[in-house]
Amino acid sequence: MSDQYLPQPMVKLRQQLGDIVAVIEAKASYGAALLSATQGLGIVVEDREERVMEQEPTAGTVVTAFDGTTLHEAAVGGFDLANISEGARKLVSKLKATGQHRIDPGPERQGNWQTAMRQSPADLTTEEKLDRCHELHHRIRRLDERIVNVRIGYSERGELTVFRNRTTDLGQRVQRLRIGVAVFVSGPNGVRYDYLSKNATGGWEELIFTDDELQSVVDNAIALTHAERIEPGEYTIITSPGVTGTICHESFGHGVETDMFLKERARAAHFVDQVVGSPLVNIYDDPTVPAAYSSYFFDDEGMLAKPTHIVENGIFRRGITDLYSATALGIPRSANGRRQDFSRKAYARMSNTFFVSGTTAVADMFAQVEHGVYLEKWSSGMEDPQGWGIQVTCHFGHEIRNGKVTDRMFAPIGISGYVPDVLQSIRAVGDDLQFDGGICGKGHKEWVTNASGGPHLLLKARLG
Amino acid sequence: MLEEIVAALRARSDIFGWSVREISRSGVQVYMVPEAVEARRDVADRRYVIDVVRHTPGADGSMTAGSGNVTLLPGDSVAPALESAVIMAGLVHNQIYSLPLPHELPEVMSADPAILSDADATLDTLLSRLEAAVALLPAVRLTAAEFASEEQQVHLCSSTGIDATRTETLVTAEWVLLCREGDRETEAFVEMTRRRAADIPIEAEVARRAQYALDGLHTTSPPQWSGPVVLRDDTLATFLHGGVLQTLGSGQAKYSEASPWELGQSVFGEAVQGEPLFVFATRQLPYGNHAERFDDEGLPAQRVPLIVDNVLQTFITDQRYADYLQLAPTGNFGDIEVPAGTMSAGALLEEPYVEVATFSWFNPDEISGDFTSEIRLGYLHADGKRLPFKGGALVGNVLQALTNAHWSAETGFYGDYQGPTTVRFGQLTVAGEGEQA
Repeated sequence: MSDQYLPQPMVKLRQQLGDIVAVIEAKASYGAALLSATQGLGIVVEDREERVMEQEPTAGTVVTAFDGTTLHEAAVGGFDLANISEGARKLVSKLKATGQHRIDPGPERQGNWQTAMRQSPADLTTEEKLDRCHELHHRIRRLDERIVNVRIGYSERGELTVFRNRTTDLGQRVQRLRIGVAVFVSGPNGVRYDYLSKNATGGWEELIFTDDELQSVVDNAIALTHAERIEPGEYTIITSPGVTGTICHESFGHGVETDMFLKERARAAHFVDQVVGSPLVNIYDDPTVPAAYSSYFFDDEGMLAKPTHIVENGIFRRGITDLYSATALGIPRSANGRRQDFSRKAYARMSNTFFVSGTTAVADMFAQVEHGVYLEKWSSGMEDPQGWGIQVTCHFGHEIRNGKVTDRMFAPIGISGYVPDVLQSIRAVGDDLQFDGGICGKGHKEWVTNASGGPHLLLKARLG
Repeated sequence: MLEEIVAALRARSDIFGWSVREISRSGVQVYMVPEAVEARRDVADRRYVIDVVRHTPGADGSMTAGSGNVTLLPGDSVAPALESAVIMAGLVHNQIYSLPLPHELPEVMSADPAILSDADATLDTLLSRLEAAVALLPAVRLTAAEFASEEQQVHLCSSTGIDATRTETLVTAEWVLLCREGDRETEAFVEMTRRRAADIPIEAEVARRAQYALDGLHTTSPPQWSGPVVLRDDTLATFLHGGVLQTLGSGQAKYSEASPWELGQSVFGEAVQGEPLFVFATRQLPYGNHAERFDDEGLPAQRVPLIVDNVLQTFITDQRYADYLQLAPTGNFGDIEVPAGTMSAGALLEEPYVEVATFSWFNPDEISGDFTSEIRLGYLHADGKRLPFKGGALVGNVLQALTNAHWSAETGFYGDYQGPTTVRFGQLTVAGEGEQA
């Protein structure tokens, strides 16, 4: 595949990157260059207004030089050769070889890739996309008279990347799409809302809502107007795939980013090849999952995408890496060195992190619960790699009585506990699998696209 | 290039109004891991953000307004980019609104002279101070640190005659203190953002967070608790910046019927048992994280009384929603300012009470105000003892909590919040373990 999908300034500069890397490596043991651009479109349709806007684009070049201890980088906006050359020249002028570490540039690799799509957003005009959002808005708006507002949010984001080091010359165009609906209803306690989104690394064919899904969002929003707070305590719970994915993401996702190993912030570093959960637990990070929201062909440090088996039958096997931490720790790299954009440093970051499906039919799982809670929708989560605490907040959950979901709804619900205890309590793993996409920060910054998922799970946890 | 863009915009007769912002930024970043500097980065960037507004007939023939935008990099072609923004604006049909007119702009302290003068040296000084402060505390180790500074200059021109510039800086700091006793290990993680390096209280924060890390070695299970809860300093700032006041107080949320708040009425649906609430939304706070002379559409910095004696005074709006709601525009929300309370901080610490020292993430529902947030470190103060605990969740509702709050007379500055250092909520719940404490 050629690189015709890249804009001309990137293509032109790409031809010079080999020379720039050579200039850097005249003084540094390792040099690399990254061209990175994002561009996109956003559409919002509500009852009383609509918006069409460019997603704030980013475009810039990073040149990297490693002196044996420190990665020195110049990040320059745009793709102007003179600016980049000047940035590289200044970078190497300050270098002194100080350290013993050596970075392996990897085997010879060349390639160009782009996301496969049946219906590319480029095949639709902006007007057609706006019309589709209006149509979706109309479908929902007529479902119940208690609705006070319906918000449709569409976004498309194209990520264009070129990576070059002495052995590697890679280019990719990754297309991510997302459409979300939020339904607001008015009730005795004020306005309440529910939401649902579809997202994909792919085309519009991935963004289809069924009537049942839309009705469910409306029904949940209405039910939330009389939701209760849950009595704090330990419960038998069933987690939906979205909640399962969030547990997975916060525990053995963030908790196994190996830059945190290097900073002595991850308890998992002491548990390699040890039991951390029930034998039913299998967790992967995999940027190659077809259509998942955070798939890519190579990371921002030139590693070709491939899956990482993080937890195998309850035993922690390995973490996900960026270039620096893998080099400093002397461990194999994975394709997880990612940047928010060219202006930010690369860290070890998740791609699509998920809990592997099991064999229990979801209906059979519910039949095993006499009294419990079905956690249907997550709203946020936060990692605690050092303490192995877990915080997942759910937008709402339903009571389960005698294997059936009742009309009783609780909102919001927090899951808290000690990660190994939560994973050890898993009694059944569903035979389904679903991903939720979005963005994820490292702490409260460094936002990158991300997906997490899994099947339904049956387990015990503390709720509050 | 700015002149070229302005000329191209002025030449278009098919747009009602426009603005363009030339944004230049430069930054320095330093990342430290144990016994090494992991990375040093220099960042430089310039871009031009263009917004246009068109008036076009809607489906019923009446005139409507639509906006479009596009961003250019130096050297990009202006005409095709402008055309795409104009086409975008023509697709959108909203109620007509006006654009901000030129106003006198206040001088707002938003740029750190030290960063403007020598960002590298300023960050190196912060790093040295951090290492020195940690060296005084043999019980803890520094295992990671990140410091970044950014200088940004914005030049705004608009079709209504606004021609203004502003300069601002931001310093972000993160570090990790580790504490070990036998096979137990705890960390204290600090992250701070300020406009000015001098406002990062490194030595005081190292001492306070080192104590948190030490206390973390001896935590118990979280208690079941229903009663007074105290928040202090940056944890109080986090509570106020959870998004509830910002969302319910926004003109956009009012216009879309997401906010039930009404002008001239109490923001609470119930009687207030504690002190009355006063909240200012301000972009004039000296070196406040959101301090700015003017916002992206040129509205001047203001210190807006949002809630006075529990009563909503206005909604925070840009020009568009101000027109829709027939209010004066305020511009961006900015930072939060709360006036001093009536009691000393010491008087608010009457036992028994729970103090939440740090949340995992305080993330309330921005419309209902409900929250359930895991406690990373808390203390149960009872019978003259201070028992640290980890885990459990603080459960409640932001607005309900504020109806029963007492604020300290002592005040502090926390970047995006200036006000009482301490608040005592009369009644909140900790979802913990075991019997009620």
